[in-house]
Amino acid sequence: MRVLIIIPAYNEEDSIVDVIDNLKETNEDVDYVVINDCSKDGTRKLLLEKKLNHISLPQNLGIGGAVQSGYIYAREHGYDIAIQMDGDGQHPAEEITKLVDPIMNGEADMVVGSRFVTKDGFQSTALRRFGIKFLSGLIKMRIHQRIYDVTSGFRAVNVKGIELFSNNYAQDYPEPESLITAAKFGLRICEVPVMMKERQGGVSSISSFKSVYYMIKVSLAILLGGNY
Amino acid sequence: MPLSLQIFSLCIVLLYFIIIFVLLKKKRFELRYSLLWLLAGVVMLVLVIFPNLLIKATSLLGIEVASNGLFAACIFFIVVILISLTTVISGFANKIKGLTQQIALLEERIRSLEDDNIE
Repeated sequence: MRVLIIIPAYNEEDSIVDVIDNLKETNEDVDYVVINDCSKDGTRKLLLEKKLNHISLPQNLGIGGAVQSGYIYAREHGYDIAIQMDGDGQHPAEEITKLVDPIMNGEADMVVGSRFVTKDGFQSTALRRFGIKFLSGLIKMRIHQRIYDVTSGFRAVNVKGIELFSNNYAQDYPEPESLITAAKFGLRICEVPVMMKERQGGVSSISSFKSVYYMIKVSLAILLGGNY
Repeated sequence: MPLSLQIFSLCIVLLYFIIIFVLLKKKRFELRYSLLWLLAGVVMLVLVIFPNLLIKATSLLGIEVASNGLFAACIFFIVVILISLTTVISGFANKIKGLTQQIALLEERIRSLEDDNIE
């Protein structure tokens, strides 16, 4: 099984090298590709200098378009499993096997790494947890399955998922909506507990004044979206 | 409607058509995006030539002042055109996204081919 780690990065010059070094140490037989989403800092220069495998978008597409580029890359290079992992160090490379195992065993087509199943590690703020609970409820209404950490960007898919997401991946705030796309397409989704850390560098794509906008937009996307 | 006003309105509508046709001729306007504007022009033309149509239609709907009906119709038309423009822009955004991704993937391929050549 060939496994590709997709690492979207926007202005991650402080953390990206550590993330990849850590990845190489803990997972010797996986490939990775960094998707540089037209970063304004020195991310691109760093990637070129250190000869890290990457693609650089000539325009900023946002996390959805960036991650989708990774899935297209995975499809073109014939990978069996693609894993999404943030470039800011939140997602621990040691936990990657937990995401891969259910796919290897044929138990699931898509695996979401979750902070909340066993409630270990970094748990985010109370308000954010409440927002995620709300979105989780909305998603359950549409796909009749409880997924706890619906905003988790730490996830793995098999070939079916790679094919689906390279053709069709939600934009803007894609994590919750892409769960609907996956479920409606017939992917079997499972959630596994992972330990997450607080980010090492960079800022969350969801700043406080944008959170209301985020909730409205994502709620609408969950109710209406997910068509493939 | 006084004749002078009717002639003046007719001139304005004709000017409107000339502008659209010139833009079309110079290819500054794609025909498929101009259809709604042309349709709006035809409606204006009909109403200028037969103003009684407007008065009859508005009174049938129970609108007391005919010009209010006209304004409502205008606003409706503009909203429809704006919605159609939003769909056009969304289509463009999607195409640009696809192009951006393809360019990035090609750049990566070129880079790795160059690296192979150097080695």
